[in-house]
Amino acid sequence: MQTIAQSIGGEVITTKLAMKMEDTLQAFAVRAACFMGELEVPFSEEFDGHDFGATHVIAYVGDEPAGTVRVRWFQSFAMPERLAVIQRFRGHSIGHLLLERVRKLAESRGCSTLYAQALPGDVRYWERQGWRRLVAEEAGAGAKRIVAMIKAVDPSKPLPEFEAPEQLSLRHEPQLDASGLPLGTVSN
Amino acid sequence: MTVQKPGGMPAHPVITIKLASTSDEMMQCYALRAAVYMGEQNCPYWEEFDGNDYTATHIIMYVDGEPAGSMRLRWFQSFCKFERCVVLRRYRGLGVHHHLNAWCKDFARRKGYKRAYVHLQRRLLPMMEKEGFRRVDDRIFNFSDHEYYAVYCDLEPMEGAVKLDTDPLVTNRPEDRMDAPGILEQSAARGASNPHAPRVERLVN
Repeated sequence: MQTIAQSIGGEVITTKLAMKMEDTLQAFAVRAACFMGELEVPFSEEFDGHDFGATHVIAYVGDEPAGTVRVRWFQSFAMPERLAVIQRFRGHSIGHLLLERVRKLAESRGCSTLYAQALPGDVRYWERQGWRRLVAEEAGAGAKRIVAMIKAVDPSKPLPEFEAPEQLSLRHEPQLDASGLPLGTVSN
Repeated sequence: MTVQKPGGMPAHPVITIKLASTSDEMMQCYALRAAVYMGEQNCPYWEEFDGNDYTATHIIMYVDGEPAGSMRLRWFQSFCKFERCVVLRRYRGLGVHHHLNAWCKDFARRKGYKRAYVHLQRRLLPMMEKEGFRRVDDRIFNFSDHEYYAVYCDLEPMEGAVKLDTDPLVTNRPEDRMDAPGILEQSAARGASNPHAPRVERLVN
């Protein structure tokens, strides 16, 4: 188990769930800094339409928003994604702290499985935190190829048989509905 | 065939600039500022989002439909302050900030302003001199880890700028579309029935 820093330069590290508009804006600002500012992800991809159907967790160093992760909830798993830590706060396991907060949150909701989609270059990071590949095969070529990773919410209980819909969960949620009803349609 | 500039941008990108008038457009401005100031310039969150966002006007610029730049404007009695001007890294080198600056100048002129004022990072002085800005005085000051000059630019008076005697319903128009009738002018066609919900006694259960 990694040691998680409790403070950086005397500033206490804390996490909380976004409860207010301002909290959510902090989460979005951290993601914009990392994904748009550093990795040049376009706005329309970063803010993909799932943000208001998800739970946001924010990490603070003192008062300063330092990291964030978004969790989407499915019937058979909880899905942390958009994990970001501001550059100058990296190297203090803030990402680990955020994922641990997600794990506990999932536990409190009776969820047994965490599922994430990692870039091939990040698989080692997830593995160090107790995640494993859903499918054992190598990720293959292409830096944008996504590797499905899973982790048991309760480390003492082995994961149940489960197959994640690998392609499905990246899409906009309304598209998950196989009925073909357009977004916003009222149905009984 | 579309001519590509270095960096994969088309040579003639479609630039759209508007007043951020919905929470989604405001969000786009915030995301662009976070990307540039927090992501590239290491600015702390509480300095970037300094408490003035809800007393300001935000302008959003799209390049080929994607949020690419933004500006925050604050209104003082004798000048409009241009702040938080950003262009996302991918869109730099195309000169799109000229469009943003010019648009904001016209926006301020339409409101009757005669002067634009900027706290300018020192390295950017030559760029803004080309836009007609010059230093207010010889002060150099610093905040958020950068050195700044105060610069300003005189704005040409604009025909039709809002004054006290401007048609009241023109003053009510969306501020970036003051030449076209606004939604309140359409509402005027309904006439004035002066509706007020009646005051009702609260039911005691």
